[in-house]
Amino acid sequence: MAAQLFFAALCSGALYALVALGLNLVYGTLRLLNIAHGDLAMIGAYVAFVAFSTFGLAPPVSMVLAAGLCAAMGWALYAGIFRRLFATPETAQRLEANSLILFYGVSVILQNVMALGFTSTARGYSYMGEVWRIGPVMASGNRLLMLGTALAICLGVLLVLRFHAFGWSLRAVIERREAAGIVGVNVDRVQGITIALGFAIAGVAGVLVSMTEQITPFMGFPLTIAAFVVIVLGGLGNIFAGIVAGFVLGFVETFGIALTSATYRSILIYGLFVTVLLLRPQGLFGKAIQVR
Amino acid sequence: MAQMKRYSYDLPLAGLVLLFALSLPLWAGDYMLGVGFTLAMWLAMVQSWSLLSATTGYISLGHAVFCGIGAYAMVLALPVMGIAISLIFGGAMAGLAALLIGLPVMRVRGPYFVILTFGLAELAKAIVMQAETSMGQFSRLIFNAPSLAVLYWVMLALAVIAVAAAWLLSRSRLGAGLVAVRENEEAAEAVGVPVARLKTIALVLSAVIPGMIGGLLTLRSSYFDAAQAFDPVLSFTTVTMAIVGGLRSPRGPFLGAIAFVLLSEVLWLRLPQLYMIALGALLIAFILFAPRGLAGMVSRLFASGDKSGKVAGHGTA
Amino acid sequence: MRRFTKAALLCACMTSIAQSVFADEAGPVRIGYSMSLTGIFAQAAPSQVNAYTLWAEEVNAAGGLDVAGEKRPVEFISYDDQSNPANAVRIYERLITEDKVDLLAAPWSTPIHLALAPVLSRYQFPMVGNTAASVQLREVAPGYIWFPTAVIPDKLGVELAKLMKSEEITSAAIMANVSPLSQEIKTYLIPALEAEGITVTMSENYPPDIRDMTTLISQANAGSPDALIALSYPADTFLFTGQAKELGVKAPFVLALVGPTIDAYQKAMGTAADNVVTVGHWSPKQEAWPKAKIFFDAYSARYGEAPDALDSALAYMSLEILEQAVAVAGLDREALRAEIATATFDTINGPVKFEGVENTVTPTSFLQIQDGSLELIWPQAIRTSEFRPKTAW
Repeated sequence: MAAQLFFAALCSGALYALVALGLNLVYGTLRLLNIAHGDLAMIGAYVAFVAFSTFGLAPPVSMVLAAGLCAAMGWALYAGIFRRLFATPETAQRLEANSLILFYGVSVILQNVMALGFTSTARGYSYMGEVWRIGPVMASGNRLLMLGTALAICLGVLLVLRFHAFGWSLRAVIERREAAGIVGVNVDRVQGITIALGFAIAGVAGVLVSMTEQITPFMGFPLTIAAFVVIVLGGLGNIFAGIVAGFVLGFVETFGIALTSATYRSILIYGLFVTVLLLRPQGLFGKAIQVR
Repeated sequence: MAQMKRYSYDLPLAGLVLLFALSLPLWAGDYMLGVGFTLAMWLAMVQSWSLLSATTGYISLGHAVFCGIGAYAMVLALPVMGIAISLIFGGAMAGLAALLIGLPVMRVRGPYFVILTFGLAELAKAIVMQAETSMGQFSRLIFNAPSLAVLYWVMLALAVIAVAAAWLLSRSRLGAGLVAVRENEEAAEAVGVPVARLKTIALVLSAVIPGMIGGLLTLRSSYFDAAQAFDPVLSFTTVTMAIVGGLRSPRGPFLGAIAFVLLSEVLWLRLPQLYMIALGALLIAFILFAPRGLAGMVSRLFASGDKSGKVAGHGTA
Repeated sequence: MRRFTKAALLCACMTSIAQSVFADEAGPVRIGYSMSLTGIFAQAAPSQVNAYTLWAEEVNAAGGLDVAGEKRPVEFISYDDQSNPANAVRIYERLITEDKVDLLAAPWSTPIHLALAPVLSRYQFPMVGNTAASVQLREVAPGYIWFPTAVIPDKLGVELAKLMKSEEITSAAIMANVSPLSQEIKTYLIPALEAEGITVTMSENYPPDIRDMTTLISQANAGSPDALIALSYPADTFLFTGQAKELGVKAPFVLALVGPTIDAYQKAMGTAADNVVTVGHWSPKQEAWPKAKIFFDAYSARYGEAPDALDSALAYMSLEILEQAVAVAGLDREALRAEIATATFDTINGPVKFEGVENTVTPTSFLQIQDGSLELIWPQAIRTSEFRPKTAW
């Protein structure tokens, strides 16, 4: 039982960490709060559904497709709109200040374009549903795949941030955007790549989720909320703390339910969320990037 | 000069509009009345929201929380107090809730504040759902709701009160203090503006009318269910209308509400998904390219001498 | 604003003049409805709209709707209510007073049906409801609205307990979404189970946005009940099934409330969906209802997926009832009301007759997914197959 709970918390945590990672990367480098983040995951889920039911392609393949598609969308948004707005301080500030509302517009558009294209009927497909026994833990194949992929991506991003030159520039842009530009970091390039990367991660998360959930144009919103809770717990723009916070949320949720009752789940999570915002808006782990 | 000139036009016009609006139930059919109700509702909602968010720059993305609290308080009070008093009770409870959370909540700034308001609304929804469940309630039907004409008049009254409150606020010391908060909170505090108190007052002011709106909406559909009453779409639509209307102009809430109700009559009814897509696109376009909203466009069109619009570039927190 | 209103009024006048001009010729019969195409209920809309559209296509292909002897084509006028009851009220007021439709079809969901009842009474406009399920429906003043559904929580609780008793179930664990329908059913189910001598080993609620059910299902398993009753909505029905499989639920009787009748459920869950019991009163397998199979085949051919045994079937039934009533009574609203209130109708779900607002013929029933199709397993009189214990996931 305890081991099973641990596994459940790990799975939830890994997914939360993954979804929040993309959101946090975009916020960190561009100071944009993407409330359409979950809707990108929804796009990823539809990619997986169409790939599977029409072309017989398995989710691992769709992950690449979804990542590509979402990255292209991110890049297009950046190159088409954001780059120009970031060029002058006045529009840049307006963009940052209103990003949440702006992306709400994007979210509404994405949801309804998909509803027009695919109708809002629930979709689903079955992949790796067989159950494995690993010691005391029962785990279905698709959840193991989800866990493995999420962990690998989180770890990969952390390694790049730590050891790769691009990762250093990325961290520089997150921590001191203006200074990074002065010391020779190509801020424009870092921002473009990061938004593509953030969107791509959301797309992959969507593929993972599509294996176990029903697929509808409106499935993204709960994921967006979860991601926001996580990055607030970790502190906006703090990538490593965000990943840790994803797991914290997974464990708080799973063990919180186990210790009290499932009925308090939402009160517990939103309560934690609100409390952290009121008491430690910089996040549980101290340092978040400075916002005004 | 420009200021005076504008009001000298606006006041008689407002009087005419009000007379027309008051007489609507006497000659219009139920459908027109329904449109009028919706229009008045959005006007009251956007105007109330503006009392807080446009004046102080603290953007609330959770104003549905006050509608929900007001609706729930009204529904609970109905058997005891009768409809009229229950409605007012709902508004009072929303105001009380704002007062209680005011001090801690209004300390939080920028994007954190926006997310916090949203989180608060979801938390309140979860709590009310839990409360209803533990009381063995599933949803509540309301019998003997007043007629649409009555609901319309009350909603219209709320809209008028909200507009009047905004107008009074804009010429009061309180309003000046709140603008100071928006422009530079630290500086305002340094020169002795009681920032914390002012912000809390603004939050309470902007909560009471939404509380009563929530009650009226519940009466209109004669049905209460927490998921409906706290619908986040209400919060988002309010913000959208305010931004499209123009945050810094007294005409903004009017224009925003009218534009959206019109748009929905034309598009939403026939092509709902396209309506939503158009709504999203409009929102994006206004934020990026017309930060002064419709009000900005209108004043540019008509009064080239009107300088009161100021530069509204950094619209929000 | 004033100018706009005038313009709008002018438009409204012109359309109504245009309508009265055209109404003289026997033009199409116009049927109005509102649907939750956007908002929180949007996911369910296609199951209902598809059934409506199919019905209209069939009627028009057959030469039109029989209006007391005269055949006229049908067309729909529909608007989106954004899943909001207040909007739906406004839309039906518009349909009745501005669009002047000839007939009304039902919207989606219990709240919206309940909100509409007073409007229909006020305009004395009859409407056959469909996708609503609540004991509160009975509190609606009878007259202009009827509910063909056989999913009324109090009866459902009693019948479910009887079904379980007849399968020799002695204990049950219940987990319920906090949404209204689930809670209502739970309230009536628990006393019914106790009355049949079935022990309730667990009764837990969970919020609609739950994302992990490990604790709930493990708790249920710990009591080794014979039955696991998930009073769930579609999103959590998917979650429940996946995790129940993972955690190896042993209970031979497994019920999920809303979701198993959706086509995607079986596609997503594969074998895990097999032998899951759910709520519903229609099956294409029932040969006593010859129209059932015809509807199933037509729907599947038209849309490439099976109709939702709950929503699509109810939506189609409600229009069959309207169609048959109009054939006798024509479009006169009072005549139509009297006909709907008193006649017996022959539908894809067998005969339907109303007493007050309720359909008193169609029995409260249960379905089970068996080898990929939905079989009626209760009550005995109409069952198409025997209950099969859930032995594997």
